[in-house]
Order: sequence, then structure tokens, then C-alpha cells
Amino acid sequence: MPMMKMKTAAAGLALALIFGAPSFAQDTLTIGVLVPTTGSEATYGQDMANAVTLAISEINEAGGVLGKQLASIVADDACDAQQAVNAASKLASSGVVGIVGGYCSGATVPTLKIFGDAKLPMVIPAANSTKLIPANPGNTFMINSTGNDQVAKAQEFFTAHDIKSIAIVNQGDAYSQDLADLTQKSWEAAGNTVTAFETTNKGEQDYSAVVTSIKSGNPDAVFWTAYYADGGLLIRQLREAGYQGLIAVGDGSNSPELFKIAGPAAEGVIAFSNPTAEFLPAAKAFAESYSEQFGSAPGPYSTLTYDATKLLAWAITTAGSTDYDKVVATLASADFTDTISGPISFTPEKTLARSNFVVLEGKGGAWTLAE
Amino acid sequence: MSYFDIFAHQLVNGIVLGSFYALVALGYTMVFGVVKLLNFAHGELYMVGGFAGFLALSFLAPLVGAGWSGVALSMVLAMLAVGFLGVVIERVAYAPMLSAPRLSILITALAVSLVLQNGVLTLTNGQYTPFGSALGFGGINLGSLFISYNQMILVGTAGALMFGLELFVSRTQYGRAMRAVSVDKDMCRLMGINVGAIIAVTFFLGSALAAAAGTMAGAFYGSLWYFMGFLIGLKAFTAAVIGGIGSIPGAMLGGLILGLLESFGTQLPGVGSEWKDVFSFSVLILVLVFKPTGLLGKSEQERM
Amino acid sequence: MAGGLPTRPSAWGGLTDVLDTSAKRRFALLLILAAMVAAPLVLGTYATVILTNALLYVVLALGLNIVVGYAGLLDLGFAAFFAVGAYTVGISTLEFGLSFWLALPLAIFFAVIAGIIIGAPTLRLRSDYLAIVTLGFGEIVRISARNLRATGGASGLSGIEQPWLFGWHISTPLDFYYVFCVLAVLAVFVSVRLANSRLGRAWLYVRHDEDAAEAMGIDRVRVKLAAYVVGAIYGSIGGAFFAVNLGAISPESFSFRQSVLILMAVILGGMGKIPGVILGAFIVILAPELLRDFGDLRLLIFALGLLLIMLFRPSGIWPARGKG
Repeated sequence: MPMMKMKTAAAGLALALIFGAPSFAQDTLTIGVLVPTTGSEATYGQDMANAVTLAISEINEAGGVLGKQLASIVADDACDAQQAVNAASKLASSGVVGIVGGYCSGATVPTLKIFGDAKLPMVIPAANSTKLIPANPGNTFMINSTGNDQVAKAQEFFTAHDIKSIAIVNQGDAYSQDLADLTQKSWEAAGNTVTAFETTNKGEQDYSAVVTSIKSGNPDAVFWTAYYADGGLLIRQLREAGYQGLIAVGDGSNSPELFKIAGPAAEGVIAFSNPTAEFLPAAKAFAESYSEQFGSAPGPYSTLTYDATKLLAWAITTAGSTDYDKVVATLASADFTDTISGPISFTPEKTLARSNFVVLEGKGGAWTLAE
Repeated sequence: MSYFDIFAHQLVNGIVLGSFYALVALGYTMVFGVVKLLNFAHGELYMVGGFAGFLALSFLAPLVGAGWSGVALSMVLAMLAVGFLGVVIERVAYAPMLSAPRLSILITALAVSLVLQNGVLTLTNGQYTPFGSALGFGGINLGSLFISYNQMILVGTAGALMFGLELFVSRTQYGRAMRAVSVDKDMCRLMGINVGAIIAVTFFLGSALAAAAGTMAGAFYGSLWYFMGFLIGLKAFTAAVIGGIGSIPGAMLGGLILGLLESFGTQLPGVGSEWKDVFSFSVLILVLVFKPTGLLGKSEQERM
Repeated sequence: MAGGLPTRPSAWGGLTDVLDTSAKRRFALLLILAAMVAAPLVLGTYATVILTNALLYVVLALGLNIVVGYAGLLDLGFAAFFAVGAYTVGISTLEFGLSFWLALPLAIFFAVIAGIIIGAPTLRLRSDYLAIVTLGFGEIVRISARNLRATGGASGLSGIEQPWLFGWHISTPLDFYYVFCVLAVLAVFVSVRLANSRLGRAWLYVRHDEDAAEAMGIDRVRVKLAAYVVGAIYGSIGGAFFAVNLGAISPESFSFRQSVLILMAVILGGMGKIPGVILGAFIVILAPELLRDFGDLRLLIFALGLLLIMLFRPSGIWPARGKG
């Protein structure tokens, strides 16, 4: 009978689900990792997941945490809010003791409440939109300087280079829009002009209309606040259209892939970013281990994710247990210096207490420190 | 920049954009003419064409460089490959379905487009693929208007392809047979015309043109993405409808008009570039409601 | 297509042949109800969340089934109705502080309007054009949701409050599971009644041959619009509960991909036949979870499955016994 067949099939599938669910031995502590492993930001996510794996293996070699070994499970948020929510629910019901992750701010925002409700501390190594701050139920710690710090760095740089007018281009998502809005406010408050404020669609190939708009205002600089894949296209088309001014990008575009997409147009492009492994003297050993284990150089957020993992492990060890309130309290009052990206301590809003932004410049197809 | 400067700029932008739309719209319109089917997978052929061009260029670049000659050769190879793919799709997926209910063949076309899209998604992991062309940024200056050589070559190539197609359709036997088939297929069969072969040739040509557009887009814009066929498919359909579906000159005209509409449309107050697509779709809906036969199309009483 | 009027199809597919006595039917019904109630208690939280998702798609797919399966209108932008329900609830509860139970009828109201707005331009179009126009509308809705600050822009709306019902706070996955069970049962019930009603017959005739139907006195315009409106209501109710279940919505949940997923649920199982559509919804939700390790490959597998079904078994996976 077809009805019976269908129900048997459904029951079979369901059983497969329960038995497919991971079960943990009593002597491991598992960290949930929420990153995009599919979609346009997958390279970032993969690098971050790798960094967690590397950190965990080092911690385990040194004896683990509270006498137990660490493990991790990765859930893909695909840089999409709905998928992120599903992934977060999955992690929250998998018996993890804490979360490391969050790359796309827009996808990360709704997951904070899910982890908060599940009483899981979360350390975010990459997502840094200020929209995360009001959404934080108290369990989330951001170790990448927020949009405010990035804007301050950008403004400092522009002013030092005699730039009076800029055009801002974003993609309407939580990260790029936040950065764009903050930049506009701060720039105009300092008495300068914003000649154009454009929003483009993700995945658009033809930017000719935006380029024409920008050119007509003749700004001294163009500031792209979104991600590298589309940023590369815009940069290329700006130069093709004959725009000669400075082009600057935010930390969502500081990928080496930018050079492949923009080609020679990326020469001289300025990026504001957290210092990636190649610019951190303390990160040399890390970069070597990473290349050895994964066969490629660490990604732009690998160092921060590595530090985030170590921070979480340290917090659990120092708190003496995985109890939520104790771990969160330990994190909030942390002054953690065993890092490669610099000391970590938090403001009352649980964001990084110092600005870790530097200025990079594109030269000969790669990023170099500009100052 | 004065209003005139902006006008001139957007005119150039519109013509460039319109060339892409026209090339892809031609495929839609030609296929519709002979099999009365909107090939939903057509936009994906543009995308696959771009990737085919990219693959060709990676082989050719060490030999002829990645400049316009390399790109041109890659384009030809891509056109051949994807033209052939178009024929295969027609034989495998559409020909068996032509007597099935309309709904079924539409869904089949949708399925083909999804297979192509997701196939490339799986192969590229959803990442943008840099095309790898090295075309240079030179151009000419007309006052404050800058027209790059690339733009000129692009429009020129598109124009040449369209001109070639027009010659083919009006001067050759195949072309005449194509027009005959689009008027009355059964009659053609009775007259001994190999309708199956004509349909195959039509699919080949339409797909080849889409592939040419895809390769040029990759070379010009710099990167390829598995999802890039979706939007262009819809825009090209809009262009074909504006010009009158089934009419080849209509597709060319419609493409140009849509490109210009989009470029100038973003100058309207309140219509920023993020509303560009909504603008185009609204045009589509308005045309279909008020003048479904488009500018150059013939009046059709047939429904369903 | 053959001339003459089609025989009235059984919306139940071949089920009525198998469950031919009322005793058998009652038994099957009890069995299903028992399984539905017991499932989450036996299977755990994660499975409950997945099943809830599947039930949501049952509602959505049944709604699209009315537009595509009953009335024969290939709507490729069904996610627009889903969006209308979700955003209406999101905006009314977040911006205007309305209770969910007031936002819900508001969502239905807007769904009716959306159904008319989207349906009206398509009335005289042939099916290919209709498909693309509805696709266009779907994109217009998604892009507008992404661009407007009122809908939260590209990051969407978050922090949507979960509703209270007579002292019961519907907040845990278990709560939502039962809510969606009720919705799914209602959706099935309404779909069956519609199929057997005069309107259902009118849809069938219009789908088969519009001009003949018109000659028989059926108002083609009203019948088609009715299909869109009813489908829109299904979609909107699904969207409303989706919004409070997830607590956060973003424009990417209402993309063309979503419309295609719902369409796949309708087709894979068997267009027009209710048990088939239910099966399709479960396949569309459970398969990706089981294929999770395959990553992007699972979308390709789905697409190939759809293609193969269209070429070799166009009536869907569900065995075709009744006509239609």
C-alpha cells in the first residue's frame, strides 16, 4: 500500500537522522564553529574553520581543557540569515560548550539570540558590524574591531592624504551598510563632502550606471564598504571608465582574490583591515604550521579565529568549568595576551577594547603595509 | 559634469549593455520562432558560454596572450562548444516533450536550467571565477566622455555577429527554411523540409550567440559567476518581448532599448542603481499587459 | 489534447482505491495522527525542527498546487506570497506593536491583494509568458524587500516576538511543531474540499481548455484570480508562522530559489495529487538534511532528479491512478 510505503520511508529517514546525529564521548569538549563554507564567502569560512582545527590540535597537545580533549563541529551559514539560523539551531542542540564564528554580520545577527537562549558563550573573530552590539544578549564577544574603529582609521588616512570628498558604495547588508552609514556620518561631521552614496546589488556584473554617477561627482576617493568579489568588479570598471582618484576598500575586501578579479586596476588600492598573518611578527610560527597542515597560506581571518579559539579555551580553563555565567564573566574581565593578533580585552559592550586596524596597499598583485 | 555629459555617458553605457541583451535576446526569439517555446535554459547558456570562453582562454593564453586576439579565439571556441550543447539539450530534453502538455515542457526547460546552474555551482563552489583576460584600459576622450577601446570592440563585435546572423537568415537556404518553419511547421514537413535539422541549426545559432555574449562579458567585466545567467535570461526575455518575440530585428532593437532604458532609468530621481532590475521587470510587465506583441512582432491570436 | 470533458480527478490520487472502506480510512487516519503526535517525543529536537520545516513546505506546496496543479498556471514567483505573510507579521509586530493574532488577518488581507495584483496582468498571457511574469513579480518583491529600510534592508528583520495563545507561549521547537501540524492538516482539509467543489471543477475546465470553459459560462478571469488568491493565502499563512518561528527573516529566504523549491515539492511528488504534494514537501526538506555532507552537490542532484522525472515520469513519484 503506497500509504504504508510512504510512512515506512518517513520513519526510516527519521531514524537515520537520530542515529546520524553526533554523539560525544564523555571526555571531549566540543566547540561549535559557525562560518560560511558554501557560497561567495566560502574561502573565508574555510580558512576560519581551519584555524579552529589548528588551535584545537595545539591545545590538545598541551593537555586539553580541564583535562579533556577539544573537538569542533562546523555548521555552514552560507552568509545567509535563514541558513545561519538553521545552522545555529543545529549547533545549539548538539551539546557544544561554546561557539567560535561569525563572518557575515548580516547572517550572524539573528544567531546571537539563539546562542544566548541556549546559554552558550560566543566569540566572534570576524563579523564586526555595530548592528551586532544591540543584538547581543550578553553572551557574545567580538574580537575584531568594529565599524567605528574602521571608520576612524579610514578618516585618519583620508585626511592625512588631503582627501576632501569621497563617494561611498555599499551593498545594503548589515556589514557594508553599517560601515557606509558610519563613514558618511563621521566624514560629514568633520566638514567634508560625500559626493555620492550608492547601493549596489550582490552579484551584479555591470556597474556602469554607478560608475557614471560616481564620476559625475568627481570625488577625491571612492570607498567600497562591501565584499571582495563585487568590489573587484567595481574597481576594474572604475579604472576602465577613466577614474583616476584613490580607491579604498573595507576589511570585507582585503582578500588576495581581489587582485585576480580586478587585475591591474587593483594597483594602488587601499584597504583597511585587521593585520593578517603576513604582517604580524608573532604570527610567523602560526603561518608555517597552517601552511604545513592545510597546504596554503592562512586566510585574512585565520589569525583572529585562531586567537578566538584560544581565548575561549583559556576562559573555560580559568573559570574552572563550562558553566555559562562563569565563562562569560571570565571573558568579560579578560586581559588575554597569549595571542598573535595583539592583547584582547573588552569594553562593557563586549567589543574589542582597542582598534586593530591597519592600512594596506595593493602593490604588484599583493597586499603590503602602507604605513 | 553637465547634464549633457551624463546623458552622453549613459548613452554609451546603454549601448554597451544593450549589445549584450540583444545577443542573448536573439537566441530566445529564434528558438521561439521555430518551436514556439521559451527556452528557459537560455540564460544559463550565456553563463556556460562565459565559462567555456574562460577555459579556452586558459589554454590559449600561453600561446597567443590574453589580449583581444586570445579573447576572440576563445569566443569562437566557446560559441562552437555551447552551440553544440544547445543542440544536445534540444535533442535530449525538448524534442521528446514537444507533444506533452505545455506545463510539462516549461518545467523541463526549468529543470535543464537548474541542472546547468547547479552543475557550474558545484564545479566552482559558488565562487567568482576571474576571467583572466588582459585587455588594457586605453580609450579615447571626447571632452569629459571617455570611451574605452574595449567598449568599442565589444559593440563592434556584437554588431558584426548580428549582421552576420541577419545575412544568414535572409540570404541562405537554411535561413529561409528557418523563417518558413516559424510560420508553419507542419506545412514545411509536408514540403519535404527537414524540420528537425532546421530546429537543430536554430538552437545552435541561438546558443552560439549567447555564448559569444557570455565570453565577452567575462572578458569585459572580469569575472564569472554561476548565477550570472539568471538575471541576463530575464533581461534578454524582456528585450525580446519589447522588440516583439519571434522577430529577429525586434530582438536587436529590444536589446538596445532595454539597455538604454536601464542606463537612463537610474538617473530618474529615486531610482538608484539598486532598483535597476525592478525597473526592467516593471517594463516587462507593462509591455506584456499593454502591447504583448512588442514593437515589431506580429499579432497572434493563439493562446496557450 | 483529447476533446470532451475530463472526468473529475481524485485529489487523493490512488489512495481512495486502496483505502476503500471507511474502517480502513479511519484506521489510516488514526495511525497518521498518532505518528504526528508522537514523532517529536521519540525523535528529539533536531528532527522536530526538520519535521516542522517539512510541514511548512506542505502548506506552501499545497498552496502552489492550487495555482499550478488545479488551475494550470505556472507560477514561478510563489515565494512572493510567502514574503508578504512573513514581512507583514514582522513589520506589524516590530514597528507597530501589534499582536501576532492581529497581524495574521492583516497578512491574509495583503495576500489577497498581492494575489490580485500578480494575477491580473497574467490573465491573458500564454503559459510561457505567465511563468516569466510571475518570476518577475517574485524578483520585484524580493528586491523591494532588500532595498527598503522598512523591511530591514538586506539584513532583514530580527527579534520578531513569538506569540501567546491563551497563556501558552508558543516558543519552543515542540510548540511550533504542533502549530504547524495543525496548519498542515487544515491545508490538506481545505485543499480536498476545494478540489471537490464547483470552483475546483471550474479550475479543471479552465486548465483544460479556456475557451470551451468560457463557452460553458465559466468566468475565466474570476476563476484564475481565485486560484492566485487562494494560493496566496496559503503562502501568506505559511510566511506568517515562518516569521515567528525563526524570529528573523531576510530577503534571501524569498528568492527565486525558494519558489523553485516549492515548485519542486509540488512536481516531484505528483502535481495535483495531495498525498503526492505532501510526499514532495518531505522529500524537498529531508533530502538536503540527509545529503548535507554533499554540500552544493545536493542542489545538482535535485535538479537532475527534476529533469529525469519530467522526462520519464512526468506525473511525479506518487503512483498515478486517478486522472488529473
